[in-house]
Amino acid sequence: MPELILIVDDNPTNLKLASEVLEFEGFKVLRAVDAEGAQLLLAQSTPDLILLDIALPGMDGLTLTRKLKSNSQFRHVPIIALTAFAMKGDDQRAFAAGCDGYITKPIDTRELPRRVRNLLQAATHKEETRLTPE
Amino acid sequence: MDADFEHELWSQTPDAILTISPAGLVLHWNSAAERLFGYAAAEAIGQRLTELIVPPDGLVAELRIQVDAAAQNQAAYECVRRRKDGSLLHINVSSKGICQADGTLRYVLSTNRDVTHLKVLRDAKMVEAKFRDLLESTPDAIVMVNVTGRIVLVNTQAERVFGYPRSAMLGAPVEMLLPVRFRGTHNAHRANFFAQPRTRTMGAGLELHGLRSNGEEFPVEISLSPLLTDEGTMVMSAIRNITDRKKAEQKFRGLLESAPDAMVIVAQDGRIALVNSQTERLFGYRREELLGQSVEMLVPERFRSRHSVHRDGFFSRPRPRSMGAEMELYACRKDASEFPVEISLSPLETEDGTLVMSAIRDITNRRKAEQKFKDLLEAAPDAMVIVNAGGDIVLINTQTERLFGYPRQELLGRPLETLVPERYRAKHPHHRASFFLQPRARSMGAGLELYGLRRDGTEFPVEISLSPLETENGLFVSSAIRDATERKRYEQVLQDANRLKSEFLANMSHELRTPLNGIIGFSEFLIDEKPGAINAKQKEYLGDILTSGKHLLQLINDVLDLSKVEAGKMELFPEEFTVAEAVAEVYSVVSSMAMKKRIVVRHNIATAIDQVLLDRQKFIQVLYNLLSNAVKFTNDGGRVFVDIELRDQGEHHEQQLRLLVRDTGIGIRTEDLGKLFVEFQQLDSSTARRYQGTGLGLALTKKIIEFQGGEIAVTSEFGSGSTFEVLLPLATNSTTRIDATPDHA
Repeated sequence: MPELILIVDDNPTNLKLASEVLEFEGFKVLRAVDAEGAQLLLAQSTPDLILLDIALPGMDGLTLTRKLKSNSQFRHVPIIALTAFAMKGDDQRAFAAGCDGYITKPIDTRELPRRVRNLLQAATHKEETRLTPE
Repeated sequence: MDADFEHELWSQTPDAILTISPAGLVLHWNSAAERLFGYAAAEAIGQRLTELIVPPDGLVAELRIQVDAAAQNQAAYECVRRRKDGSLLHINVSSKGICQADGTLRYVLSTNRDVTHLKVLRDAKMVEAKFRDLLESTPDAIVMVNVTGRIVLVNTQAERVFGYPRSAMLGAPVEMLLPVRFRGTHNAHRANFFAQPRTRTMGAGLELHGLRSNGEEFPVEISLSPLLTDEGTMVMSAIRNITDRKKAEQKFRGLLESAPDAMVIVAQDGRIALVNSQTERLFGYRREELLGQSVEMLVPERFRSRHSVHRDGFFSRPRPRSMGAEMELYACRKDASEFPVEISLSPLETEDGTLVMSAIRDITNRRKAEQKFKDLLEAAPDAMVIVNAGGDIVLINTQTERLFGYPRQELLGRPLETLVPERYRAKHPHHRASFFLQPRARSMGAGLELYGLRRDGTEFPVEISLSPLETENGLFVSSAIRDATERKRYEQVLQDANRLKSEFLANMSHELRTPLNGIIGFSEFLIDEKPGAINAKQKEYLGDILTSGKHLLQLINDVLDLSKVEAGKMELFPEEFTVAEAVAEVYSVVSSMAMKKRIVVRHNIATAIDQVLLDRQKFIQVLYNLLSNAVKFTNDGGRVFVDIELRDQGEHHEQQLRLLVRDTGIGIRTEDLGKLFVEFQQLDSSTARRYQGTGLGLALTKKIIEFQGGEIAVTSEFGSGSTFEVLLPLATNSTTRIDATPDHA
């Protein structure tokens, strides 16, 4: 059963690139162009990981992150922040909002699948630890 | 009686005998007459008697007597006669008219006997009886003289002053008491006095002298009073020996002359009593033109009326002081030109009452210097405020009036704090005091925001520079105040513009990166043949697209970084990291290009270095820029060396990281070294073509290094290689800082 990845990016080209790179790697991808669209999709299914652009029209990515991390249904879903601002403070803000990872655009098509996979593994491990108390 | 005997009687009789024709001409003149009146018979005979021996003022009386005598045929009387030498005699006259048979007058026979001495005795007896006690009680020498100039009375003081016994003086002509050279003129003066007798000082303004019996002269002051008596008018002269006073005056005058100022001594009525020669020089008057004149002649016309009021004021409360303190005083020369003066006044108590002594100094030169200084102040573009040690404003220029909105008169004498906003006032005097302790030119409150307070209560930002001002009146502070409103506004505009530029660049870089995301991502995706196989040419072209895209991305990143530095938005995030690991990370990126060009890259990290506290990302950025440059500008088969070591620097032995990047590359011409760190400057167009780059790398590198308090330098030999040296101060945590400065612990 392929993992389900939700990708949120307002730029259609970038959304397409990230989605197709991951689809070629065998993931199942849900696409949204803004936070509002993402929330509609999340109402129907819970993804295994979310790739979230920070700078979105309307509700921004960090607000959505905080919202999801305070929801028990999504709290365990890893979120990777995507941003064009390669500034040191951005990753700290992203982590502070609850993001689990941070990728600077433009995305490295070779690096992206590896990062996604790593985070999924870490999350599964955490999940297992959580489900099987010592 | 024979004729000879008669002749002998005529010539030997002790009385002067003379006959006068009915027309008044002398007919006979005997030897006694010659002796008595000093005229020889030959001189007298034929002359009109009244013209010959009657003093002019006695003529009327004489004519009346003669008319009486003619009527009664015989007369005896006493009168004053004048000798040929001008001296006067008292004469007892007996005359008789000798008539012809028909009764007509033939001649008048007149016998004249000198009774001068008798008269003196009479006068002396009379005045002594009347005045002696009074005269003895006066401190002056008194000499009383009758109409013939004979001394009729002296007091004891006169004996003492002149050194003669009373008997030697009585009856003698008063001229015996005068130096010989004055005797001639004295006769005439005496006659004038008797003609118009009134009390007065003798010879006003002249120096008078007396003659003692031993021939000594001495200065005297004499006052004369007429005394009308039954025996005729007498003159009483009070004589004061002023030798001592003259000496004192001489001394005083010497003192006056030695004064550097013009000294003018003025009496209560405003008359000038004494001046020194400096006064003559300063005012252009001769001494005689000044003495006795009103002192207001030295005061310009427009001040004269007020001056006399001030003078009265001085005499009502005389004390030494400077005149018209704080006022500009002017004096007036003989040629009517004016000049500025400084005057000090002191009362001078004398036997003639209180005088005022004024010392007058010409301050034209000082005024000129002051004017020059004022002109200089006015020429300054800033508001200039000069303050004394007490903090009072003593001088300002027009710019100050304009800047603060006060008229000059309102500020002068006021505390400087008038111009300081309320909230700073309390501390200001303290700052002022410390400036006076260590006066040196400097700008005020460096790094602080300073404000001035206008008269209308509004504040404005100012820049102030202070300088000490040494003067003969002590230390002053001159402050140049500049309105910084414009500068502040300009700075704000610049700041805003810069912020807008940075925001614009940040946004632009975001907007530019987004499409690059697609270009780079999809090229990479295709090259990796994820969607399917492609041929070699397709792969090569896609590689070109990818390289261009990455280059563009680097360019955008550099621009963004530069703008961040310039906008002051760059931040430092120091962290502990292992130098070797960071170097390896950079190395791995550069090594593929180095290998392609067969360039050997060697690095040497000093063993002492393990962990450092630095902004890791910026360290990597600097090292990457220098290393990739070195590889880029080194020809195939060349060498690149990286050396990293620690250094102690400065008094506190701050630790520095020293990074050397050497290459055996193409080198840089000396004249090009200056352009090396300037944005968008690649050294020449040919290198630009051969060596692709943004032209931002080294400019950005330098800014990043300097932002961390470090420095970068380059040495190069054209054609054989370059060496870049970077010094980065290592951040210290608080514990190391305290350890390093134990004197603060």
